Parts: sequence; structure tokens; C-alpha cells
Amino acid sequence: MSGEGQELTDETLLERVAARDRHAFDVLVARHQASLFRFVRGLCRSEADAEDSLQETFVTLWRRGTRDDAAPIEHARGYLFQVARHAAFRRGRRRAAEPATFEGERTLAQLGAEAGWGQAEVNPERYAQYRESADALARALARLREDEREVLVLRDVEGLSGDETAEALGLSRAAMKSRLHRARLRLMAELREVAP
Amino acid sequence: MKNDRQEGGLWCHEVLADLADYVDGELDDARRAQVEAHVAACDNCARFGGAYGEMVASVSRAAPDVPDQVADRLRRALDEQLG
Ligand SMILES: [Zn+2]
Repeated sequence: MSGEGQELTDETLLERVAARDRHAFDVLVARHQASLFRFVRGLCRSEADAEDSLQETFVTLWRRGTRDDAAPIEHARGYLFQVARHAAFRRGRRRAAEPATFEGERTLAQLGAEAGWGQAEVNPERYAQYRESADALARALARLREDEREVLVLRDVEGLSGDETAEALGLSRAAMKSRLHRARLRLMAELREVAP
Repeated sequence: MKNDRQEGGLWCHEVLADLADYVDGELDDARRAQVEAHVAACDNCARFGGAYGEMVASVSRAAPDVPDQVADRLRRALDEQLG
């Protein structure tokens, strides 16, 4: 990919895509393909489904972005992850839906206790070690429920803003934040079982 | 919560509820100062809050790149479908 256009924001690139600028589109593809692929890979049952979802996402972006009658796309990243998520879900989820729990959602205090609040071994030094331990993190992430994993992947792994994450998941900002906090506590609990 | 205590005007369970906003820099200055006063006086919240923050920082590094073949196939598919 030649360097031109790299410094432009997603929103500026989208304006150019609306004028059928294929180069601007290719810059967007290069910029977002890795994070979108990681995201759909976590949602799909197979690598092939993930690739199809990735391709469909960018085709949708181009068609939507160049349509004369469509409302402009405001936040490229939130939009892209939203499209990718739907594309992945149409190809079937990685696992069957979780069984309904009749005990209801756990309270924050319960989640905190399971994450090790008050336990001596839950300390910053231990958790800093996971920086060098992508495998341990991936294993713990795989043990989360899908709704927990996707909010954590978008916000913390891929670094989307709070607004982008909420848009991608179709949640209000408050609902997204609550789910994110609970997902992080669940990951802390899972990491207690996985050595750094 | 066992050993829930009040320091800096907040209980441990209130600090727990605010951890995400604290780590994400979304607390207002007054609330942030209260959380910090609590954590300075409470070992349990200091350890747990520190672990939470380190975990969030660690997760952001767990992102592998897209395989070359996947990127190549994507480029070819887009060329075919978009012309
Ligand atoms: Zn405390």
C-alpha cells in the first residue's frame, strides 16, 4: 500500500469513498482489516467463515458508502464492527447459545469476590505478567461468555472508544459500560486459573 | 462484601463499582479524588484496583496481526466484487 492517505481520518476517507475513491477505500481496508479479522475470528466457528465475514464487511462498506441516497456513515470503526458482527452471526455462532440461568445475573460484589477481591495473590505484579503472555490471555478470553468476550475484545483488545463499542454492539453507552466492567471482572476470575 | 470498609468517604463496594470508569479516565475530578483517597487507605482495594488496571493494560497487547494469505484473499475478493 502506498503511503498516500495514511494520515487522513476515517471520516475524511469515508467522504472520499462516497466519491468512489477506491484508493481511500483501500486505505480503510489496510487500516482496519487486522482488528476486524481478529474480532470475527472470535465469533465464527471457522477461519473460512471469518474470512467471508471480513470480505462481506468491506463490500458492504463500499456499497453503502458510495450509494447516493444513503445517510453518511459517521463513525467508521463503530459502523465496521457492527457490520462485521452481523456478518459473522449470519454464518452461525461459534457455540450454542448459553443456557438461561435462573439464578439471575450475579451482583458486582459476587463478581468481585470471584475475581479475587481481598485475596493476597490478586495483585498488580501478578497481573502485569500477562503482558508477556498472550496465550494465557487468549485461553482465559475463550472461557468467557460470548457477550462478555465481544465487549472486552472491542474495547480493550482492539481499543475502540466507548462510543464506538456501544455503536458496534447496538447498546446504550451505560449498558456497554456495565457489561464491560462485568466482563473484565469475569476475565480476572478466569485468569486466576491460568498461570501467567 | 466481606471486609467492606469506608475510607475517603467511599465504601469498598462503591470503589469496585467505579473501577472501570476510574481506569478509563471517566470519573469527574471530585469522584476520582475520593477513589484515590480510599485506595491510599485500603490495601484490599489498592491490590485489586492495581490488578484490574494491569489486566486491562495487558489485554491490549494480545492482538496478533492478520495472516498474509487472509489479507491477499481479501484484496482479490474486493477487486473481483467492486471492480
Ligand atoms: Zn476498599
